[in-house]
Amino acid sequence: MDLWGISYELTSFLIDIINFFIYGLGWLLPGVLGDAFNGLGDWLASTGVLNILTMIVEALIVLIVAILNVITLIWIDRKLLARMWDSRGPFYVGPLGYFQNIADGLKLFLKQVITPSKADKLSYHVAPVVFIGSSILILAVIPLSPGFALSYERAPIPGGVLFAFAIFAIAPFSILVAGWAQNNKYTLIGGMRSAAQMMSYEIPLLLSIASVFLLAGSFNFGDVVEAQANIWFAIPLFIGFVVFLVCIVAEIERIPFDLPEAEAELVEGWTTEYSGMRFGFFLMTQYIRGYAGCAIAAALFLGGWHGPSIIPDEIWFLSKAYIVFLIFVWMRASLPRIRTDQILDLGWKRLLPLAMINLIIAVAMKTSGWF
Amino acid sequence: MQVNSEPAKREKVSFTGLVLKPMWATLVQVVRNSFRGKPNTVLYPRERLTVPPRYRGKHVLSFTRCIGCGQCVKICPNDCMWMKKINDPDLGKIERPGVDYSRCLFCGLCVEICPTDAILMTGEYELSAYDRKEICFEPEELRADDFPVREPKESTLLPALDFDRCKGKEECAKICPVHCIEIVEIEKTGRKKPEIDLSVCTLCGKCAELCPEKAFEMKEKLIVMFERPLPVFDPAECTGCGACSRACPSDVVYMVEMPGTEKTKPDGRKTKPKKLAVFVLEKCIGCGRCADACKFDCLKMVPESQLRESEKEGVRVE
Amino acid sequence: MAEMWINMGPQHPMTHGLWNLRIKVDGEIIVDAVPEIGYLHRGMEKIFEHRTYPQIGPITDRLCYGSSFTWNHLYCLTIENLMKLEIPERAKYIRVMVIEMQRIASHLMWIAAYAADLGLLAGFLWAMREREIFLDLMQALSGSRLTYNYARIGGVAADLPSDFERDALRAVNYFEKKLEEYEALYRDSKIFLMRNQGIGVLSKEDAINRGVTGPTLRASGVKYDIRKDQPYEVYEEIDFEPQSSPDCDCYGRYVVRMNEMRESCKIIRQALSKMPQGPVRVKTPLIGPQGDAIGRVEDPRGEGIMYVIGDGSEKPYRLKVRSPLFVILSAARQMLVGYKIADVVAIMGSIDVCMGETDK
Repeated sequence: MDLWGISYELTSFLIDIINFFIYGLGWLLPGVLGDAFNGLGDWLASTGVLNILTMIVEALIVLIVAILNVITLIWIDRKLLARMWDSRGPFYVGPLGYFQNIADGLKLFLKQVITPSKADKLSYHVAPVVFIGSSILILAVIPLSPGFALSYERAPIPGGVLFAFAIFAIAPFSILVAGWAQNNKYTLIGGMRSAAQMMSYEIPLLLSIASVFLLAGSFNFGDVVEAQANIWFAIPLFIGFVVFLVCIVAEIERIPFDLPEAEAELVEGWTTEYSGMRFGFFLMTQYIRGYAGCAIAAALFLGGWHGPSIIPDEIWFLSKAYIVFLIFVWMRASLPRIRTDQILDLGWKRLLPLAMINLIIAVAMKTSGWF
Repeated sequence: MQVNSEPAKREKVSFTGLVLKPMWATLVQVVRNSFRGKPNTVLYPRERLTVPPRYRGKHVLSFTRCIGCGQCVKICPNDCMWMKKINDPDLGKIERPGVDYSRCLFCGLCVEICPTDAILMTGEYELSAYDRKEICFEPEELRADDFPVREPKESTLLPALDFDRCKGKEECAKICPVHCIEIVEIEKTGRKKPEIDLSVCTLCGKCAELCPEKAFEMKEKLIVMFERPLPVFDPAECTGCGACSRACPSDVVYMVEMPGTEKTKPDGRKTKPKKLAVFVLEKCIGCGRCADACKFDCLKMVPESQLRESEKEGVRVE
Repeated sequence: MAEMWINMGPQHPMTHGLWNLRIKVDGEIIVDAVPEIGYLHRGMEKIFEHRTYPQIGPITDRLCYGSSFTWNHLYCLTIENLMKLEIPERAKYIRVMVIEMQRIASHLMWIAAYAADLGLLAGFLWAMREREIFLDLMQALSGSRLTYNYARIGGVAADLPSDFERDALRAVNYFEKKLEEYEALYRDSKIFLMRNQGIGVLSKEDAINRGVTGPTLRASGVKYDIRKDQPYEVYEEIDFEPQSSPDCDCYGRYVVRMNEMRESCKIIRQALSKMPQGPVRVKTPLIGPQGDAIGRVEDPRGEGIMYVIGDGSEKPYRLKVRSPLFVILSAARQMLVGYKIADVVAIMGSIDVCMGETDK
């Protein structure tokens, strides 16, 4: 059973329950009203409407699963960081402190929402929406297994990986606008730094996945994962894998590439004037993008859902994504921040040549017939 | 504008080589915490750390040992203590100190200066309250009469004279092996008082043993390491009001009648004789309440190191 | 290019303490810097004029709460110079031992705050963990973790408790091993070196001309340490070397402080082994004579001086405190101009700012 099938069954079940009442009303009420209700029931049960509703339900399921994963990632982040720092992390709320993040999120609802008076109102309100919305959109295209993927009548989304990275790259614009809209020197500097960092790390990122496309022969997630049935791409394209990981950390803005929103330097950088749940959404979006990055890394380089079939495919995929995230947490725990000009130095002078070398290796492998 | 951010003449080492070392250190830390021992965090309030014996926390006050001298109130750097007059069923009319913890520095000077180890500091540090009045503690709330003294001050013996019992028999001056007792006549009263030179006294206790009236008693006196002043008395100004004697917490001042000072009233009756204050300065703890109480400027507090030997024992010999 | 003034502070997570640093930036490069202090001024020198000599002791603890025993001890040294008081030998050795423990605790707090500013939170929590060991030792000795009130005019408040020598030696041995592990996070970490080398250069002539003292001066190549050049207490009988480093940047200051911690461990061991038996205190006199006196010590942050004028009563006429950071902050402009905004954190952190003693 794949995701479309499950959603279709669920939607038909719900429509049947609703139609029970509608047909009942149609039978009870006389004349034109009764006919109208019967017509409504027929319309609801037609294939077109059913398909659309199935799509909505499917999207909701994907969203809920992704958000649960993100919350688990935040929990792992906090617990593992604490252990690395000789401390314990959350332990009070829920088993092993699992619900602490939900408690923190609810706390943010209770905070006072302040809008600076001289802020540019339209940009101030729209920029977070674009940022959060685009990040959640990435989650739509990531399949956890051949069956668990968002699709319309079992047709997969064409060009999934390319779509994901295109949406990934909308973020710098919204950050720049958000930083400017708050009418604050710190946020302006933070926003500009962040935009510079993200845009300059897009290029090695795309070059390293270009090598993956070359070896796989297509832009779809399913095809890329199928091409790794014999050997994971991380092994021949090891340099590309390392470049990809470093670029994803820079895109997500975690330590060591944390300077735009560094607490010590610029008081939270480009999110200074946002308060309450808006700020909470920014934090959560960082982890949503982190989850998206880890999942794409697992799909493109670590073989996706291939593994012994004792464990279901989705669990394999998620485990690989979590292992990539563990490496990110490890880096966060032990490295200081790099200054912005050193970050840009790193991106242009070291990662770009490495990505080019990786591309050459991929071309060599393809032309020599290995793949 | 010159930009100085070039690294100063050092070899360029590869990036990855020196990023993995700190990561290895954190990995070792995780293994240590999770598999060989516990993390360093104390899960307060489920677990608590034990405080050492010398911890300076909330005070306790022993009503029975406290003599109400008020030195703790005077030495507090932040004026956070005050003396309260209490009518206790067992101890009578007494004055005891209270503490305001919104001002207290927890410095411990009040504990150091107490001459009887009456006020002590415990290991209690959980003192939060919702209201400012709740952290202002009255003496009754601090009372704990049998709290054990963890590190008592060093003590020495003191030959304390009870002047009411002394009949002037002069046996003590003869018995003393080092001749530290000098019998001094107090003028206008016709009485004699033995004065001990504490710098010579060996604390042998013979005067206490062999006094026929049992006027001497070898008491334990705690050594306070802050120099305290002693009162210098001018008997010419004294009116015999007895305020100093009532104020003194350690029985230093005795009011002695001066015979021959009775006056005859118009209706033939005789008034009582006037009194003079007599000081037994060995027992003095230097609190200064006598000088505060005297309204006729008879008393001046002078540091002990500045007093000449002969003046040290109170009554100035003309 | 437009130049703008940025206020770092007075409410800022980076500035340790309450002060304002105004920097003029041209893009990302700093063109001018003006430190503004005085937010934490509590009128301490005025308070000192209205308190008796024993009462001032606990208040001097609060001058710099990061290294409070130093100021406590400096005050007692000054008043002992005024009253011409001789203190017992054992008290001097105990004081030296506690001073060095305080130095280690203060430097550990510095490295913790410095690492936290740079984003290396592992350094923060690990350094605080080691600092707890020394704070526990001080707590067993004096009764309090941060403001000890342990030195008295005439010696120290109380003798060492039982088992203290064994615990102190154990702590020092354990700490020396841990210091080697910490180097993995700092000296062996390329990112830390990138953030620190070549940043905040203060040349030797500039440092001497501006009156900078302490580890900041020693990191510019000048081997000047009051414990060696004008020894007080029993430093003449203890064998140690003042540490200095020829590179005048933030990394040099880091190296100097780490090495100073190692030297302090040696000093603690020597003090414990050479300590004679005897009393630890003489009676504190009540009256301060007429006249004046000076006391000078090597604070973990520089040279601390106190000057007292006594007028024959039980309160001082004037007690002046010279704090080392007050002078070093005036050299901040020299160290900041020409670097980037992100370097401000590293430079100001490497000076080890504690506003309690700067503002008094």
